[in-house]
Amino acid sequence: MKKHLISHEPKVVSLPDEKFSFKNLLKDIFLTEIISGLGLTLSSLFKKPVTKQYPHEKKEAKQGFRGLHALARRPDTGLAKCVGCGLCAAICPSKCITIYTYEDVNHDKIVDRYELDILRCVFCSFCVEACPYGAIVMTRHYEYASYSKEALFMTKEKLLKNWDDYMSDEDALVYFKKYWGPREEDFVGHEGQAVFRNNK
Amino acid sequence: MINETLYNLIITIIKIIVVLSVAMLHVAFAVYFERKTIGHMQRRLGPMEVGPHGILQSFADVIKLFFKEDLVPASADKPLFYIAPVIGIAATMVSLSVVPFFNGFAIANIKVGLLFLFAMSSLGAYAVILAGWASNSKYSFLGGMRSSAQVISYEVSMGLSLVGVMIMAESLNLNDIVAAQQNFPTRLYIIPQFIGFVVFVLSAMAETNRVPFDLPEAEQELVAGYFTEYSGMRFALFFLAEYIGMLVMSSVAVVCFLGGWGLPGFIYSIFSGSSIFISILEVICFLFKLYMCMFFYYWVRSTLPRYRYDQLMSLGWKILIPVSVFNILITGTIKMLVQ
Repeated sequence: MKKHLISHEPKVVSLPDEKFSFKNLLKDIFLTEIISGLGLTLSSLFKKPVTKQYPHEKKEAKQGFRGLHALARRPDTGLAKCVGCGLCAAICPSKCITIYTYEDVNHDKIVDRYELDILRCVFCSFCVEACPYGAIVMTRHYEYASYSKEALFMTKEKLLKNWDDYMSDEDALVYFKKYWGPREEDFVGHEGQAVFRNNK
Repeated sequence: MINETLYNLIITIIKIIVVLSVAMLHVAFAVYFERKTIGHMQRRLGPMEVGPHGILQSFADVIKLFFKEDLVPASADKPLFYIAPVIGIAATMVSLSVVPFFNGFAIANIKVGLLFLFAMSSLGAYAVILAGWASNSKYSFLGGMRSSAQVISYEVSMGLSLVGVMIMAESLNLNDIVAAQQNFPTRLYIIPQFIGFVVFVLSAMAETNRVPFDLPEAEQELVAGYFTEYSGMRFALFFLAEYIGMLVMSSVAVVCFLGGWGLPGFIYSIFSGSSIFISILEVICFLFKLYMCMFFYYWVRSTLPRYRYDQLMSLGWKILIPVSVFNILITGTIKMLVQ
């Protein structure tokens, strides 16, 4: 017989005695259980409903909410922070990120296309965690349902536009620093560990 | 003579039109009231979108149902399928004709009003059974079968529960029953006839297929029960019949136990001059009591789960019928001793 790792005593659940008593009879006749149930529903009739009237009454997502994706812009050049390392695409469990890069005449790696299929995304935010430069982030914006597949297929331009739309204000930058802050800024590896180029 | 007959006919038709249209409006708002009540009991809001606080939701639903496709299953028994909802709606609407809304007003002030109501509520069961049979679907059929068994069982206890009232009022005319309550010391028959009232309320819930006795339309087991195959306006007719049935049963409870249109005595002495004003007050009083009964229906619906089938049957036959017979015995004995 297979032995269980955690042994426990068999639990004996004893039901209350079904003996006849005058009290139980009275309880049955005057339906006390049902009346207490009715009392509960009546009391909740006068409590405040918990419903949020969604389209009229919007709730702002909490900080750290995994909403629509965006590609971060470099503050100095205004271009995407993404260097095309492909870590996000590698870790993505639903394989929804595709990155196309090429080498230009100066032997720099140029991110040609950065495509993200939101319809396949599972919103795990592994890509955000994997990114060494904080180039991809998830915004607090969540109302982007659409009838067309094209609208939910994100290209590099669209993702950069998402950054402009939802991450350019101050509040969003705080949120970005606190939750999806780029690892490059405060990453301290152990001695002798390979470091990213601009990590001092 | 002919002129007088014609005049009576026209008056009756006007009365019918007024009562039916008002009853339809009441159904619309009873549905709204139900959805709001149950919503708030479950800490929700209920309908909120159509009109202020969703007050026009029922009208939107009716318009939607009216324009929906009228589907008839290919293997259905077509004549019965067509006629079943009509029987249902006719039986419940005809019941409204004997209900006195204020002193002396009923479309048909007949002497056997209470018996007529019983007959019509039993006839309503035909609609359910025929709909279940004609749909040629197992869910509908099971719903219809359950309904027939349930209605037959609870008809008995409902009839017996009102015998006490008949003995006390010495009449079957609903207007006379209310008038008799006005002359009774407690002014309401619920106080001496409390057992009868409880039995009546339980039987009325079973008779109108409401929770906790909604076995004919048990969603979890039977999709929607006997009207599974109905859609569009035919479905709406069943829906209407169910709610008018509730209104009729509530008004019977009001008339027979809660004093009907009867106002407290001092109001009659204050406004003895204007009979119209008193009639208006009586209608308001009647409707207030009616909606308290309707509220009780909704309250129970949001509280209790459904009875099991054998529990339903044993409650009807083993408890309610003996209790109501006992009630008749006591009422009759006291009545004999008093006289």
